[in-house]
Amino acid sequence: MTDFIIETSQLCKSFKDKAALRGLDLRVPAGSIFGFLGRNGAGKTTTIKTLMGLLRADSGGARVFGNPVADADRSVEVRRRIGFVTEDKELYPYMTVEQIIRFTRPFFPKWRDDLEQRYLQMFELPPKHKIPHLSKGMRSKLMLLLAMSRGADLLILDEPTDGLDPAAIEDVLRELVAVAASSGTTMFFSSHQLAEVDLIADHIGIIDQGKMIVAGSLDDIKARYQRLQVVFPDPAGLPARWADGVESVRQEGRVVSILASHNIDAVVEQARSIPGAVVERFPVTLKEIFLEHVRSN
Amino acid sequence: MLWHKGWLETRFRLLFTLGFTTLILALQYSTRTAASPPGGKGAAVGLVMFSNPVLVLMICSLLGGAGIVTQPSLQATKGLHGSTLFTLSLPVSRLRLLAIRASIGWFEAAGVIGALCCGMWLVSPAFRAMTTPVELLEYAGTLMACASALYCVTVLLSTFLDDQWRAWGSMITSAALWWLSAHTPLPTYVDIFRAMREGSPLLTHTMPWTAMAFSLGLAAILLFAALKVVQTREY
Repeated sequence: MTDFIIETSQLCKSFKDKAALRGLDLRVPAGSIFGFLGRNGAGKTTTIKTLMGLLRADSGGARVFGNPVADADRSVEVRRRIGFVTEDKELYPYMTVEQIIRFTRPFFPKWRDDLEQRYLQMFELPPKHKIPHLSKGMRSKLMLLLAMSRGADLLILDEPTDGLDPAAIEDVLRELVAVAASSGTTMFFSSHQLAEVDLIADHIGIIDQGKMIVAGSLDDIKARYQRLQVVFPDPAGLPARWADGVESVRQEGRVVSILASHNIDAVVEQARSIPGAVVERFPVTLKEIFLEHVRSN
Repeated sequence: MLWHKGWLETRFRLLFTLGFTTLILALQYSTRTAASPPGGKGAAVGLVMFSNPVLVLMICSLLGGAGIVTQPSLQATKGLHGSTLFTLSLPVSRLRLLAIRASIGWFEAAGVIGALCCGMWLVSPAFRAMTTPVELLEYAGTLMACASALYCVTVLLSTFLDDQWRAWGSMITSAALWWLSAHTPLPTYVDIFRAMREGSPLLTHTMPWTAMAFSLGLAAILLFAALKVVQTREY
């Protein structure tokens, strides 16, 4: 049986007339690194805020560690087990780096002094600097330090690498994987950087217009999808309707590019039945899957 | 740590309020020394009776705080400060966040009121001649108790008003309450504004217990309402 650290069912949330979540179903397995993808305004931050108890769902349910997020009493205990990085990386403007670390530490009994010191050095954070004097990248690093040193069972990270330079992104991603591997921490992070997600996530969910359109193990999803390239001599021979499993078809001259999500052998068979057609199969990248789905949705 | 955070957020406001109160005291003193008031000691106390409730109202409006949202040291912010989300991600209930922030502001307001009373005693020989230290203490206690309701008006407004509107909103609301109390047939024993002025222990030599209790009861109701707003509010 798989344990889910985060579970939502038919989660709906609207702001005035605008629906942000329309029946979102999300399941994040324990110990996974879950990449939460979507376009701007797709509902990622609304989902994260709902999970953190900052927003209340209009309908549907959400549970973290098996506890309903709407339960104010239990949410305090739940938050003790969560490390959180907010989208805008804002911290108290009147504190210095060392003051905010000293402020945060006592709230978390499993605080990791070793990680705190390690990240202070790795991220080259100046302890005496006031937070408004830090660059956005440095504030992101400080927020990551505050989230990852909590000794949390779950890290919820909203665009964690936003504002970081490529070298720092590399360091942060390596550390996230190391933390997940060494302590079994579940990681749920949203990102626009598909390459990052491809690099570290083992599970993904793609949200669009408030609904989950693809979810599951990244390996399974990648194995399920294939791109077929069909070169044919005569356009008249192309089928009017492709077999079930074809997600999209793009034609450029005498070349047809097909993205198929299942029933691939039947699609290949259909392509080969075109007189003179040459069919090749290619693995697909996460970027292709993402773009195909959000465009077609 | 939340107390320390609250102190860091409010210390400059407290300093500003203390400075403002000192200025008013200095003005009162210089007015009386420059031209001896025709009414003598009675006029001195009368001036205090008028100006102190106004001062208390301003103190409460300035130190009322911003509920559970982050409040940068001095300048009022528009909208929600982003770091509020960091606060709300901590394993602390909204009740505790609000209670601590409200307590810090109340202690500061009480401190400024105490300093105001001591200042009056020190700078005004006429005032000193008319009151005993015990009466001064009773007066300070009356102001603090009666200020609690006005203070909690600010706390309640802070739960749903932007910081930039909060101080003005609470000053206007408290002034409106004052006007209402003066223009409606309110029983004197629940009139908290009267208890700070003509009903104060300085003039009546008795404590306005019922008005104080009414103010504290009203403060508790307002605080409860503020908590309900905070618990249901989205960030």
